[in-house]
Amino acid sequence: MVQASPADPHDSAALTARIEKRWALMVVSIVALLVAMVIFTGLHWAMMPPSRVETADPTTLHVSGEFVESNLGSSVEADGSVTVRMIGQQYSFTPQCIVVPAQTPITFRATSADVVHGMLITGTNINSMIEPGYISTFKTEFDKPGNHLMPCHEFCGVGHEAMWANVKVVDKGTFSKMAADTRRLTCDL
Amino acid sequence: MNDKRSRLVSLRNPWFTTSVGATLALFLFSAFVGFIWLPSAQDDALFKGLLNAICGAAGIPRTWLSETNPPVAPKVPLSTVILTPEMLSGPGMRESVGRGATLALRCTMCHGARGVSAANTPNLAGQYSPSIYKELRDFQTGARTSAIMAPMVVGLSDQDLRDLSIYYASLPREPSPGADDASPALGIVATGSPMRNIAPCGSCHGSLANKLGAPWLSPQPRAYLKSQLEAFANGTRHNDVSGQMRNVARHMTQDEINASVDYYAEKR
Repeated sequence: MVQASPADPHDSAALTARIEKRWALMVVSIVALLVAMVIFTGLHWAMMPPSRVETADPTTLHVSGEFVESNLGSSVEADGSVTVRMIGQQYSFTPQCIVVPAQTPITFRATSADVVHGMLITGTNINSMIEPGYISTFKTEFDKPGNHLMPCHEFCGVGHEAMWANVKVVDKGTFSKMAADTRRLTCDL
Repeated sequence: MNDKRSRLVSLRNPWFTTSVGATLALFLFSAFVGFIWLPSAQDDALFKGLLNAICGAAGIPRTWLSETNPPVAPKVPLSTVILTPEMLSGPGMRESVGRGATLALRCTMCHGARGVSAANTPNLAGQYSPSIYKELRDFQTGARTSAIMAPMVVGLSDQDLRDLSIYYASLPREPSPGADDASPALGIVATGSPMRNIAPCGSCHGSLANKLGAPWLSPQPRAYLKSQLEAFANGTRHNDVSGQMRNVARHMTQDEINASVDYYAEKR
């Protein structure tokens, strides 16, 4: 370290200014790095950095609207995409077996009827909270057919460990055959 | 001293202008990134345009599914009961018990003089009031079918159903023969079968936790429990909200059904 000389007080003022500048530069670089990370992950990694806030009354989901039991499951939209609606509740997802086509744009719509749940589709980057009062909407696409486990990943009560669903990705042809005679498709037993 | 401090916050102080200016610039740039750039990069029509991007990122509630076909109506009547935790509590409970006791005279033939049945019908004494209320409403709307119960609830008002529920909830439960038994609870009741999507019975029905609308099960007549559990398993009973009981019952083996029914019928 440089010894401050008591003989020349201006020396120490200049030294302080130099140190201050160095620290300022360092802090600015750290902040710049953090902002750059936010931009990079927002553009290239994260599925849904901004929120898509939409509300729903959790006590009346089963009475009317798009989350009535008969409207849950996969439905084919006019543009060829598929919308999957589901409910998380203590202690199961409805439907328990979700069937979707591969290589097709999928929109998930999920909400909770009681407490905070979560959904995570293994082998994909799909991971969302399912909160009472809010509808989680997100878009995705599955590359290839296969079976995925979908556990609830927010502790939701004493039966939490039994709460999971299956996501069955089938090829497009099989799906359109399955969807031919029903408007809402699930692979529940 | 005072003189020095006033010079610190001044546009002529280069340290002040530089640091405050840089912070301001950083704030504006970050706001641009968070509210405009990143939302606009989303593949979603509702994020396009300056105002949409800002509102979307700020979390203004809106409808995020525009192109859709209308909801599919249920083929069979489903439960339309709206339950909230506080609905059957508060002032006026004492009056409700009195009115309910009078109304309950019509129930005593099957459900017993004090809500304890001798006829393979459910014991109602000490049952959770929201559970009784829900089933009565479902009998009225036809979401739950019963040739016996349907005519009994015709003409009862919503307040009558609330009074009945509060009255029966206020009665003492039947003393259970196995209550002093310290043996561990049965597997399906205490732990369920998580690998097969079966939550423990006790996680909703009272011994571990209680879910709003789910009934207290012990003690109930064996024949009643078995017929209801099997009706859930094969879907003939479907007044459970969003399939919460059918989702469990359809995965249970006959052995598990028998074991859980035996447990709740005989032993707590």
